[in-house]
Amino acid sequence: MSPLDETTTSAPLPEVALRCEGITKSFQGVSAVTGATFDVPKSQITALIGPNGAGKTTLVNILSGSMKCDGGTEFIGDVEVTNKESYEIARLGLMRTFQLSRELGGLTVLENLLVAPKHQAGESLLNIFFRPGKMKSVERANVQRALEILRTYGLYKLRDNRARELSGGQKKLLEISRAVMASPTIMLLDEPMAGVNPALIDRIGGYILDLKSQGVTLLMVEHNLNVVEKICDHVIVLAEGRTLATGRLEELRANEEVVKAYLGEVIDVNTAR
Amino acid sequence: MSAFWYYVFTLVFFLFDYFILAMGLNIQYGETGILNFAYIGFVAIGAYVTGAVSLPNSVGTGQHYILGWGLPFPVNLLIGGLTASAFAVIVALISLRRLRTDYLAMVLISLSLVLYDICNNFVPLFNGADGLYNVPEPMAKALHLNTNSFIWFFALVAGGISLIMWFVMSRITRSPLGRTLRAIRDDEVVAAALGKNVFRYQLTSMLIGSFYAGIGGGLLIQFGGSFNPTAWLPGETFVVFAVIIVGGVGNNWGLLIGALVVEVLLVHLPTFLPAIPGHAGLIEYIDAMLIGVLLMVMLWFRPQGLVPERLRRSPAEETTSRSTLDDFDLTEFESKIAAQSRVDSDEAGGRHEPA
Repeated sequence: MSPLDETTTSAPLPEVALRCEGITKSFQGVSAVTGATFDVPKSQITALIGPNGAGKTTLVNILSGSMKCDGGTEFIGDVEVTNKESYEIARLGLMRTFQLSRELGGLTVLENLLVAPKHQAGESLLNIFFRPGKMKSVERANVQRALEILRTYGLYKLRDNRARELSGGQKKLLEISRAVMASPTIMLLDEPMAGVNPALIDRIGGYILDLKSQGVTLLMVEHNLNVVEKICDHVIVLAEGRTLATGRLEELRANEEVVKAYLGEVIDVNTAR
Repeated sequence: MSAFWYYVFTLVFFLFDYFILAMGLNIQYGETGILNFAYIGFVAIGAYVTGAVSLPNSVGTGQHYILGWGLPFPVNLLIGGLTASAFAVIVALISLRRLRTDYLAMVLISLSLVLYDICNNFVPLFNGADGLYNVPEPMAKALHLNTNSFIWFFALVAGGISLIMWFVMSRITRSPLGRTLRAIRDDEVVAAALGKNVFRYQLTSMLIGSFYAGIGGGLLIQFGGSFNPTAWLPGETFVVFAVIIVGGVGNNWGLLIGALVVEVLLVHLPTFLPAIPGHAGLIEYIDAMLIGVLLMVMLWFRPQGLVPERLRRSPAEETTSRSTLDDFDLTEFESKIAAQSRVDSDEAGGRHEPA
């Protein structure tokens, strides 16, 4: 039976920004992803939830090109990007953050952002020596934009600190702002709220809503169901490496398989409130 | 020229030459994170090719070597540098595409050993274990320089070349290209996730660094007039690593200090000291031990080197009315979350209460 057959259906989805069909991945015979199939609707926030070991991070790694899949296909819009290199996928507008923050520790906070823009004139040897004017003007514009983003994300004061000196929450913000600097159309956020304090969770939630309002498509691995309920339009449940169900969280709460595989007692969150 | 000044200018030459070599290794290791344990192989290629294109045709010279074009300085030097860069392409294609960190280092040191054995044993290439000798002293005839005056002249030439190469390297390391290389050094997975073609940048770094290695090697053979396999034992790579670790990884000025401390004070200065009676060669062994101890001390107590990598600060600008992590207003975002929840609730037919 195809995973799609088991999918809980809801209202017709809008335009699809990211699609994966039958993605599989195993590590030395141990299956991590066993046929994940889902669509990520454009300009919406989609949550990818599931128990530990469901293959969520592996899937994010595959979708972003950091890892090759064994089977299946991936599309960004209409472009097939299955097993493309990470940088090629990024150049199509898909940016990601990591479950454990991966800041560029030796670079300053500002430099972390300045790495992100695509096709910088100053990254070519020819431009460095023969078109310094162009390089400088592009760099000036990038610096201004990076400083604006740092202001928005509350990291401006820390712009000249080495990224490795930031706290865990600040590193989460840095990762998101760095991805934003690359002008993404799709963002994969791997547990953006993990290990951050409740106030910062609200802030990050606000930033994610801001990005949605700017037309960015977001796919977010998240365990915090309160956050999922508050900000996500659509939920994909992954269990044992396959898509168990998709739909709105309220609908999924009525799905016995989902409850059994993941939600468990958490389904009572409404009554708990 | 007195013996004293002969020694001084010899040391000055090695200071500048190792400054160039250290800049080349630094862009590969210090800026890009490529653990190039084959670096001395690129120096050797630069030296051999510079020597072989400077020497006349090998027939009748008593040596066996390829090329023999009799080219003048600095054309010969440039060819040596470019050949080392071309070799870097081959090495990069073999090693950089699939290998990382320690595996890459092992493959590179193996390549260095293979190259060493080829040069040492295949006599028609660069005269085997005897190496190349009688390499013409650049511009000595035109400027009527004798052996002594050539020493100070060429030490100053090396100084001028190192200054130009420092300027070029500074332009590169301060540019967005340098920043991208440092991003790859810090985390190549992140760099790739940001759209950077890591292999292309690593290849660029290898090309630049190997060019510097080739130029440094070319200067060595022209200064001494000879070059053979004893001059580039694979362990020599670690002397250049010691220069950049002691001076400061990722800092061009630190490399000059590192070259002074390691190459001049520890490697070459003691060779001018009188031998310890009854213990010929002991000084060299003490030298090697001192370098090892210095490396351990630096890595333990000051891993950033004597002159640490510079923090690249943002351009100065006004600092009024900016939100910071401390003064951030949560209200706006909380209201957005509440608004979103209301929208969700409406779309879902009011199946749940807004948060």
